[in-house]
Amino acid sequence: MKKRSRLVVVLVVVLLCGFFLYPTIAWYGFVPQDTKELATGSNVQIKEYSRGQASRDLRSLKELVADDPQAALPSEFSYLKDYAKENYKAMKRSVPRNWTLEALFAGFYNEQDMFDSAESYYRTSLLDLKTLGNKALQLGLDLEGGMSILLEADVASYEDKIGKTASSSEISEAIRQDIEILEKRIDQFGVSEPVIRLQGDDQILIEIPGAADPERVNSFLRGKGSLVFKIVDTTLTAELNAYYTENPSEVYTDTGALKQPDFLPAGKIAAGYYISDEYGIDELESYVVIEEEIGLDGIHLESATTATDGITGRPVVNFQLDSLGGDIFYKLTSTHVGDTMAVVMDGKVKAMATINEGIRSNVQISGFDAEEAADLAIVLRTAALPIELVVSSQQAVGATLGEDAVSAGLKAIAVGLALVIILMFAYYHVSGLVANLALLLNLFFMISVLSAFNFTLTLTSVAGLILTLGMAVDTNVIIFERIKEERRLGKSDVAAIKAGFDKAFWTVMDANITTIIAALVLSQLGSSAVKGFANTLAIGIVSSVFTALFVSHLIFDATVAQREGKKLHISWRKN
Amino acid sequence: MLKKDIPVIKLRWYAWALAVVLLLAGGISFAVLGGFNLGVDFESGLSQRIQIAPIGLEVTYAGNKDAVLAVSGSGLNLEVRGDEGVSSTSFSASEYPTAQDLATALGAVQNINVAVVDGSLETAQLLSGYGFPATLSAEPTKLNFQSSGNANIEDVRSALDSLGNVRVQTVGVDGSQTFQVRLGIKEGATQDSMETEVKNALNAAFGAGNVVVLQSDYIGPKFSATLLSSSILAIVVAMALILLYIWVRFRFAYAVSSLIALVHDILMMLTVITLFRFEFSGITVAALLTIIGYSLNNTIVIFDRIRENVALAPDASLSVNIDHSVTQSLSRTVMSAVTTLIAIIPLAIFASGDIQLFAVKMGFGILFGTYSSNLLAPAMLYWISNAQAKKKEKKAE
Repeated sequence: MKKRSRLVVVLVVVLLCGFFLYPTIAWYGFVPQDTKELATGSNVQIKEYSRGQASRDLRSLKELVADDPQAALPSEFSYLKDYAKENYKAMKRSVPRNWTLEALFAGFYNEQDMFDSAESYYRTSLLDLKTLGNKALQLGLDLEGGMSILLEADVASYEDKIGKTASSSEISEAIRQDIEILEKRIDQFGVSEPVIRLQGDDQILIEIPGAADPERVNSFLRGKGSLVFKIVDTTLTAELNAYYTENPSEVYTDTGALKQPDFLPAGKIAAGYYISDEYGIDELESYVVIEEEIGLDGIHLESATTATDGITGRPVVNFQLDSLGGDIFYKLTSTHVGDTMAVVMDGKVKAMATINEGIRSNVQISGFDAEEAADLAIVLRTAALPIELVVSSQQAVGATLGEDAVSAGLKAIAVGLALVIILMFAYYHVSGLVANLALLLNLFFMISVLSAFNFTLTLTSVAGLILTLGMAVDTNVIIFERIKEERRLGKSDVAAIKAGFDKAFWTVMDANITTIIAALVLSQLGSSAVKGFANTLAIGIVSSVFTALFVSHLIFDATVAQREGKKLHISWRKN
Repeated sequence: MLKKDIPVIKLRWYAWALAVVLLLAGGISFAVLGGFNLGVDFESGLSQRIQIAPIGLEVTYAGNKDAVLAVSGSGLNLEVRGDEGVSSTSFSASEYPTAQDLATALGAVQNINVAVVDGSLETAQLLSGYGFPATLSAEPTKLNFQSSGNANIEDVRSALDSLGNVRVQTVGVDGSQTFQVRLGIKEGATQDSMETEVKNALNAAFGAGNVVVLQSDYIGPKFSATLLSSSILAIVVAMALILLYIWVRFRFAYAVSSLIALVHDILMMLTVITLFRFEFSGITVAALLTIIGYSLNNTIVIFDRIRENVALAPDASLSVNIDHSVTQSLSRTVMSAVTTLIAIIPLAIFASGDIQLFAVKMGFGILFGTYSSNLLAPAMLYWISNAQAKKKEKKAE
């Protein structure tokens, strides 16, 4: 390959790696810790946070404008200016030059509009950060602290429950439903968003970064989330919806929870009526006033299925109650004929239906389209997993241990790297510096490829990283020793460099190809810890061959081979 | 540069004799010591890293907001979420050096009560184990501080004695009172019940709450069986493919010799692991594989040279060519071993836990790998090539 095209290849690779590395640097270097925590939360948490922040901003803006409409807009609210500007343009009015509070308020159609803009500002900025965080190099649980749990389907008890042997497709279907249900429970779980995925045919892997509290995880698995049936107060519901529409800043508290208005009598509470949007996040539809007292607890629920009504042909949801539940439910429904009943999960109203008559154990709810019926059946089933899960393995690392491991590991890598760099310079003189440059480039390439492929950096992959840095040096050592040998045979510097690279080429290739075979096999067959190691090793081998054969070669050619009479320094001694 | 070649072929009997003696020693110690010290991932059970650390403060919260206490590298963080917003307060170790200072500052926050158990403990030594970040409630949240004490491995062992099959190891320096505790799985026990048993036993011995769980691994019986078989399969497949590659690129004799050298390296590593009672875990498999890669790399470099020299001087005897090749590669061999070693030694000294063990095993591995690549593999190549030549002669007759 021509020198120029080789230079172009090297530059393109360096630029590409820089591009992939950017999110990692931005995320770990420039995002403050508490913002990071917010951004790594679940989408629901981000939504709640943005709603809370928007409510707070709207309330303080309203106070400020009541005090003095002509006062200048405080800088913490200046983000709203952009939204107001667009509105001004849309209203075909001139954009004010002086941003007073009054001018800002005039830039919105109404309070709700202002609230929506503020909410969208907070949400967008956090979601952008979340995207950035996902692109950055992820730290493994052993470095960051956290828990990883491998769950296995309890097939035996499942077969007992259904009373026959289950086919593998039945089991994988049940597991798929388990995962769906666990994902729906995420939002009630806590700070960080866990990873939930299928492993093999009958295992579920859950990884929760940051938290190492087994109690919380167990409650998550057991599904502490409650499912209850409650009676709706229709009159107050209408009143509540009117009140919230008039006062958008009074809907949410700062944490994003519904604010209970003062006019509700004791024993009645306001709740949101949610339907799942296309992302699977519960979208708020309207507000409902329900009895605080529980009508029927979901623990009495035995099963829920969808069906079609034989007469009307419309989709219905059937669910079975146990005998005690049936008694309670009969009492409840027979005294509330004509009222509306709500299905409430974790404080959110998920479905509503009118009570036509007193019902005992076999309950049928109608009044939805097919999709809604299927959704409700899932909601009702979410109270219990279709197939029970048992813990196959669980690993938890406290944050202290993780932090210690990171700092000790980084320190050790830095010291090792410094020693290698000094040794290479001491032994190979200026040529050693070329090898050192190749070494540092290698580190840069590896970390950016690891981030580009979204690999997780674990303890074992750090080990792989260190080993590969050693091997990158070795590739240069093989070449340098060969060049020295050729020079000892009496060749000129230029000829020695050419012969050195040519003769070392297959040595380097053979040595690295055998190692990469081992690395690839391991990355396919090894356990997860070994896989992390193998992936890093494979990336490292490719990058070390590249840096030695392209980068080092290019530098030697450019500095020595170009200029006749320029001396090659490859040792402090004469030879 | 050496004036004379190293007499590798002349030394072949001594080199292999030493290897065989060491391997026999490994085999005997394996039998005597009763196998490997299997890590929790290969042997089902519960493994916990615990630290005995006194409680400094007990924090309760009486308000109706969401108060979360987190331990960060530099001190404590308190976050209170309520209707009027989120307030976050940091108590850094530099500002509040002792537990008493922390108690005063924390106690000043509305609705928070702090009971001081030992005010002289240092904030910088705060531990964040299980249960952190902690949501505060009326139930006291305990803050533990690392501190020097004299609890030793025997104390922990006797505390856990009643639980049956228990193994305890000291982790880190003596004063830190950190231990790795391992429990074999019992019939009908779950991860939950085992964790509770350990906790209760330790609380009884060292005082309630004085033991912090830093890490907890639980491996079910089926998981460990799969891990072992998948690791063995991975190693066997990798070696078979490498054999095939060398066979194609070099010759059959080269492939077999390098594989025999590899087997030696693996067996030597296992010997070291048995003798020093190192834990055999998933990380050990990684170390083994690394050594396979490293030693193979070394062997290939030398074999590459032998092949080149045999082509250049086909009339010279094989033993001369081998001696010459090993000697020519010597400066590279030394340089490569030294650079890898100095990159690994800091890890063996500064790093902790698994990474440290990995580095120590790697260090041994590099020594064995260098030995086998330079002395054992060329000798084996010499024997096999001679045997092949004899066979050919016989056929020719």
